Amino acid sequence: MNVRADHIAGATFVIFGLTIIALSGDLPFGQLSMPGSGFLPMIVSVLTILFGLMLFVTAGESPRFSELSWGDDKHALLVTVITAIAVALYNYLGFVITMAAMMIALLVVIERRNPLRAAAYSLFIVFLTYGIFQYLLNTPLPASPFSY
Amino acid sequence: METTLVSLAHGFAIAFQPDNLGYAFLGCLIGTLVGVLPGIGPLAGISILLPVTFGLNATQAVIMLAGIYYGSQYGGSTTSILMRIPGEASSVMTCIDGNAMARKGRAGAALCIAAVGSFIAGTFGVIMLTLVAPPLATLALRFGPPEYTALLVLGLIFLAYMSSSSLVRTLLMACLGIAIGLIGIDNMTGHFRFSFDLAELGDGIGIVPVAVGLFGLGEILSTPSHKIAGEVIAPKLRELLPTRKEWREAAGPIARGSGLGFIVGIIPGSAHVISSFLSYALERKISKHPEQFGKGAVAGVAGPESANNSASTGAFVPMLSLGIPTGPITAVLIGALMIHGVSAGPQLVNERPEIFWGFVASMYVGNLMLLLLNLPLVSVFVAVLRIPYVYLYPLIIMFCIVGVYEVNNSIVDVWIMLIMGVLGFALRKFNFDPAPLVLGLVIAPLFEQSLRQSLVMSNGNYFIFMNRPIAAVLLGICVLLLSLSAMSFFTKRRDWRAKLAEAEAGETTP
Repeated sequence: MNVRADHIAGATFVIFGLTIIALSGDLPFGQLSMPGSGFLPMIVSVLTILFGLMLFVTAGESPRFSELSWGDDKHALLVTVITAIAVALYNYLGFVITMAAMMIALLVVIERRNPLRAAAYSLFIVFLTYGIFQYLLNTPLPASPFSY
Repeated sequence: METTLVSLAHGFAIAFQPDNLGYAFLGCLIGTLVGVLPGIGPLAGISILLPVTFGLNATQAVIMLAGIYYGSQYGGSTTSILMRIPGEASSVMTCIDGNAMARKGRAGAALCIAAVGSFIAGTFGVIMLTLVAPPLATLALRFGPPEYTALLVLGLIFLAYMSSSSLVRTLLMACLGIAIGLIGIDNMTGHFRFSFDLAELGDGIGIVPVAVGLFGLGEILSTPSHKIAGEVIAPKLRELLPTRKEWREAAGPIARGSGLGFIVGIIPGSAHVISSFLSYALERKISKHPEQFGKGAVAGVAGPESANNSASTGAFVPMLSLGIPTGPITAVLIGALMIHGVSAGPQLVNERPEIFWGFVASMYVGNLMLLLLNLPLVSVFVAVLRIPYVYLYPLIIMFCIVGVYEVNNSIVDVWIMLIMGVLGFALRKFNFDPAPLVLGLVIAPLFEQSLRQSLVMSNGNYFIFMNRPIAAVLLGICVLLLSLSAMSFFTKRRDWRAKLAEAEAGETTP
């Protein structure tokens, strides 16, 4: 059997629907005259499973899974990892240090830009944004341990 | 009518206050930039800039955010005409003839026709909004839970029917959105649902992290930097004015696009995208020279650009008068109003007229601002287009993080944004449009509440939806749309939605 993109997508949605049912096991379904908090989750999960099955059954028209283009996955993965590190550090190192480091990393590691230019651009943008939020919009951004 | 005019005059008094004028201008300017820049659409733009409005009152906030929305419709045409890359989705059709005109040395004329068409259509849309929204809001006061349930179901079915992807795909996305919207405390019973003992999830998942993740970060992950490259055709300022012949050719399409766009705008779905496609198809169909389409036909620029601007205004009708979002952008705007303590819907028109009429009046002013802004500043926008994308996307990611964090000062929201970004990347890979997900997320609480209230009212009898005339009519339309979809599925007929999908695929891939 040729595995098509919609086979994978349909199966994923069926599993997702089953997961909702499993997770909502302790939620009361109630009665039709007084629906409980598990009422809509049950309807949504059943519909998700149903539509997932329909997608699976009609998958023949979709492209083969092996033919999906994954040429951009390395770029996406690197952007995700660098952004995740920045998010993890955001509350500890504050806006200026974290965002400047993230932008430099994106420009130097992924885009192979000149480190000096990347640093100058990133610092300019970060300090400009910091100034706008801090002084113009009166919306404080997370501060670093060095209190800026 | 007299009441409407008095209210509108009151709205103008609010809109002409210097600070409100300033926020309308700022919104229009940012919106134009959002439209001009490929890789960032109005939805991400509005979501990211939401925290900027926290220091403003509700009227100023909605004036500025709406300015970003309709400003982006103007700005999108610049990139389409000068680079053949749609700055935002609704400008897909403008790429075809707009860029062909630019290659013939008529870039300035194409930009001018797009701007004037947008202005006329935008103003027409606001006039219609002024006339239609207040009576609709009065009618909506008669709606009870069954009517709202039926209306929300109709909204989802309409969205699925109008979508260029398949009905099943759209409904799956809507189900996913509703499922995400169920996370948090159940308002009717107080039960915690799917919160995994995380206190931050008790209030549910906000629309901002989801929208920014799916449409901001998700778009960046799906767009490798080397793909955004293109030649920018710089128009000369003295070439901005179209010839008399070009004006004559543009007049009819602008008028038809304005009317068509407004009607499509009221209907749920990505109205501004669909309206520009329908307008293009209509103009080609009725043209005496259909062979010119694709080679620089003036009607191919004037019609779609007018239609998408009129549609973006039409989308405000159900949002403001019924409190129902017709698409992800109006959903975010409803969320923005809620953050400012204001509920969209009939109560807004009747109980907070200063916000409603101030907002409507600001749109008249905003459309004029955009006309004055777009043409003289075209060289500035050309300069913006020449900034390499590799320098822009780190900036956008930074604003995604700051924008999401500042809503609740919550790092959990930023993690949700990141997860949604990855989800958005995966969904695009498998050819899913994430827009219905956002719509599902927004309507989930209202849908659940009205469905459960309806069943409580009827003692568990589903026939309450058939016994109430408005609800029955709305559900009847749902059945009709589902039947039409099923028919085109079984007959394998290639309808306008398939053509729209092809056009989108062809033009969004540079």
